[in-house]
Amino acid sequence: MKITKINEWFKKQASSIIKFRWLIIAVFLLAVVSSFFGVKKLVVEYSTDGYFLPDDPMIVMGDEFKEIFGNDSYVAVLVETDNLFTKNNLELLRELSNELLDSVPYADKLTSLTDVEFTVGNEYGMEIIQVVPEIIPSEKTALEEIRKRAYSKKNFAKKLLSKDGKYTWITMKLLNYPEQIEGKKLPDVEVGEKVEQIITQKKYEALHPRGTGMPYLNYKKANFFDAEGPKVIGLALLFAFIFLAFSTRSVRGVIVPILSTIGSVIIVFGAVGFLNIPIDGAILSVPIMLSIAISIGYSIHIFTFFKKHKRKTGKRKASIIFAMKETGWPLLFTGFTTIGALLSFIIIPIQSIRHIGLLTASNVLVILLTVMFLMPALLSFGKDTKPKNNTKRDAKPILAFQLEKFGIWILNYPKTIIVTSIIFAIVMIYGMTKVDAAFDIEQTMGRKIPYVKNLLEISETELGSLYSYDLMIEFPKEGMAKQPETLKKFDELTDYVNSFKLTKRTTTVLDIIKDMNQVLNEDNENYYKIPDNREQVAQMLLLYENAGGTEAEYWIDYEYKRLRMMIEVRSYNSKELNYENELLHKKAEELFPNARLSVVGIVPQFSKVIDYVVKGQINSFLIAIAIIAIMLMVVFGSIKTGLIGLTPNVAPALTVGGIMGYMGIPLDMMTVTIIPMILGLAVDDTIHFFNHGRLEFEKTGNYRKSIIKTFGTVGVALVLTTLILSANFLAYTTSIANMFIHIGVLTTAGMIAALLADFFITPILFKQFNIFGKEKK
Amino acid sequence: MNTIKRITGIAILIAVFMMSNTNTFAQTLTGKQIMQKVKDRPDGDNRKSTMQMELINKRGKKRIRSFVSYSMDIGKDKKSIIFFKSPADVKGTGFLTWEYDDTNKDDDRWLYLPAMKKTRRISGTSAKKDYFMGSDFTYDDMGGRNIDEDIHKLLKVEKTDGYDCYKIVSKPIDPKDMYSKKISWIRRDCLVAHKVEYYDKMGNLLKTLTISNIKKIEGFWTAQKMHIVNHQTNHQTILLISETKYNIKIDETLFTVAKLEKGIF
Repeated sequence: MKITKINEWFKKQASSIIKFRWLIIAVFLLAVVSSFFGVKKLVVEYSTDGYFLPDDPMIVMGDEFKEIFGNDSYVAVLVETDNLFTKNNLELLRELSNELLDSVPYADKLTSLTDVEFTVGNEYGMEIIQVVPEIIPSEKTALEEIRKRAYSKKNFAKKLLSKDGKYTWITMKLLNYPEQIEGKKLPDVEVGEKVEQIITQKKYEALHPRGTGMPYLNYKKANFFDAEGPKVIGLALLFAFIFLAFSTRSVRGVIVPILSTIGSVIIVFGAVGFLNIPIDGAILSVPIMLSIAISIGYSIHIFTFFKKHKRKTGKRKASIIFAMKETGWPLLFTGFTTIGALLSFIIIPIQSIRHIGLLTASNVLVILLTVMFLMPALLSFGKDTKPKNNTKRDAKPILAFQLEKFGIWILNYPKTIIVTSIIFAIVMIYGMTKVDAAFDIEQTMGRKIPYVKNLLEISETELGSLYSYDLMIEFPKEGMAKQPETLKKFDELTDYVNSFKLTKRTTTVLDIIKDMNQVLNEDNENYYKIPDNREQVAQMLLLYENAGGTEAEYWIDYEYKRLRMMIEVRSYNSKELNYENELLHKKAEELFPNARLSVVGIVPQFSKVIDYVVKGQINSFLIAIAIIAIMLMVVFGSIKTGLIGLTPNVAPALTVGGIMGYMGIPLDMMTVTIIPMILGLAVDDTIHFFNHGRLEFEKTGNYRKSIIKTFGTVGVALVLTTLILSANFLAYTTSIANMFIHIGVLTTAGMIAALLADFFITPILFKQFNIFGKEKK
Repeated sequence: MNTIKRITGIAILIAVFMMSNTNTFAQTLTGKQIMQKVKDRPDGDNRKSTMQMELINKRGKKRIRSFVSYSMDIGKDKKSIIFFKSPADVKGTGFLTWEYDDTNKDDDRWLYLPAMKKTRRISGTSAKKDYFMGSDFTYDDMGGRNIDEDIHKLLKVEKTDGYDCYKIVSKPIDPKDMYSKKISWIRRDCLVAHKVEYYDKMGNLLKTLTISNIKKIEGFWTAQKMHIVNHQTNHQTILLISETKYNIKIDETLFTVAKLEKGIF
């Protein structure tokens, strides 16, 4: 089908739109208002569980673990004083511990210096006592006595106290969370918020309490992104506002695109809210930013043609029909290629990325409909004006003129351009080989964010840890987990894990059994080991249970079939952790060939995400490319044209990949979305260029002439849209979060690369391959 | 004769007065008096039972332990000793308890571990809050609690599950107590609790104890099944009591560490 024919069809539709403009406006308003209620229901989550699909082995294993051993999430508080062993500090510490246990929702068991299970043995008996007595003495000697007792067991002290007696570590286990109740806060956020409320009270100032643990971290993360996201979006909207005001120089030119952006975002988010699909808070801003960019880009295309025609004719409605005729088809087509590219996210088995893919794709669809229906309807109101004198100078003809000159220059130096492009591509490909997939909080978030700084600082102290993960070993028969030979092997495994570079500490039931053995043998440290026979272990556990010990059930299951090891890590280095994880698996399989192993928690989750992200990046890139190629082939009715159209679009992908490699930006949850997204956006430029080029070729039959004309017409819109998209995404670079800075830099670089490739390479390919047929003589 | 008559008359009067007084008394019993009566309910001077304790976790997995139990009242104090029969790896483990009525005195407890041939005295500042053998019963729940540790209030007399019961709320005097209150339904016919609800510090229902299979054995009301459910952890314990015998021939020397180490006889 000839372009002119397709354009005629759009022309007809435009007339209908004007005819039913009130209906269109009413439908839009109704959709926005009703979606508002959906937005209120929107579930924004920050927990890593949201990364995975419900049937992911990671989630299945995690759920099984939680059912047996309870919630693997915990809250920890690091306390820092000049000296812990003063009456005042100990009293405060007890008060803080009690308040945490009493007031934090889902609190299960708290371990703190002031109320920890401390077993003491002597020749006659054993006692489970409190290290710090109920009434805290004020005399120096009595306080010194408490200090001595606390340090008397080194295995006990190293988990709770720093060597200098200044720091102590409070941990609180949590009960399993209930199913999410609609309208209620997420449990993680609820827990984190309460902890924050407690530790920031003035009365605890002397303890300098600092919170950590996943719920607290997720709460702080939610707080940060809830503030940072709107800030960046606000700035992007401001940029868009200024840019639209400058480029359209009309009130309607500014208001209509911004209204349709906001409306579209509300409609899509409303639908998401109604469908109860949770959205990852950290990447929530991406679909909004993309919506702003796309909506404004599309609007500019229509508005440029509308204004041009109106200036010439003065007729409002006719100008709208003209603009729709010229831009309708390329807009529809670019919209669909963008949607196609964004849908490639579905290939990545990470729930939040899939949701973002669906969300952004739906956003593009709604924006496309809004721009194509609402914009003409809104622009159609108003009177006709007198045609303006064409010779009057304004920015656009100058830009058009300069672009035409630029086009001529390009056509004169094809070889230089191709060679330079190839060199550029090689440099970028080399850079791409340096890209690392990582989930390092310092790299992806950055120390400038207060909560990240706090988290990292805590993990750098003697007691604090960054994250933890759990190993669960399931034996084939009940009772096997408490057999001495099993426990001895488990001890060997624990020692092995403790030798890892990143391991800060491990916790297992062995701590309790060994301690009991020591206690039962007059507190002789030589007995801090696993007993030799089954009965001894069983009776020790019974004694422990009967003496009021409740800690063991967190580490050995009810049927004595499963053992748990919690591994806390000092820092997060994806590569090292992956390596350590492999070693752990290997050793555990070697020691327990008949047991089933599961590693659960944040660390394996991150590793899995990285795994998915790396595979997903390649697959989604290939799928996006394939979708675009097929669409180009179908639309242009030729495989050759489709493939040629694809060539310039490789440039933004290479540029983004190359920059990531050279700048050390890791491939993560956020950056994995950039390349397919850029592809979706970049292909728009190519389509506009191709489309207009073909239109001009149909008219002139000469490549050189049509290319120059295309530069002068569609080139202007391309420069403007690229500028607006870049300005929009550059708003991200004002953030202190590395994640946002990365997306800002990479998206902008990608957009510019796409424009440059379309300007430099596409025209040369046009001419070289005679893609629209032979020239007319 | 007159004197005799007079004395008889006075005696009758006293008796009538006492009887009527007893009736009035029953009508106006306070919560505390009922709880005292429950505590003082005759149960012989000593007793022996076989017990099976089923511990059931939230996943429905069971740990079953059986033991023989002896106990004896010594004044207001109570001494008891139990010996494990199963599971095999704890067989022979013995547990001796001396419970004191005096709230200021901590109970004494010893555990004998045959695998190590060692007896260990267990003591702890929070001993009363401790759970018995990994069950959902604290020592207090099992009857070790002094009446004066709570303020008891009779709420009403009501029919529950077919039994006429006193409904009594007991609030601990010590604000640090693990419960905020207990609500007990005491059967009027036998003065045995039919049901007890335990509320945690936050006022939420923590546990429910149901006592069933209450029978008169050798003239003493005896509870044969105690089922306690922890609603917050979904853990439960079923204690089945059988072969109960009262006033057997045992003396205080049974309840010593020496006998504990000697094992079952």
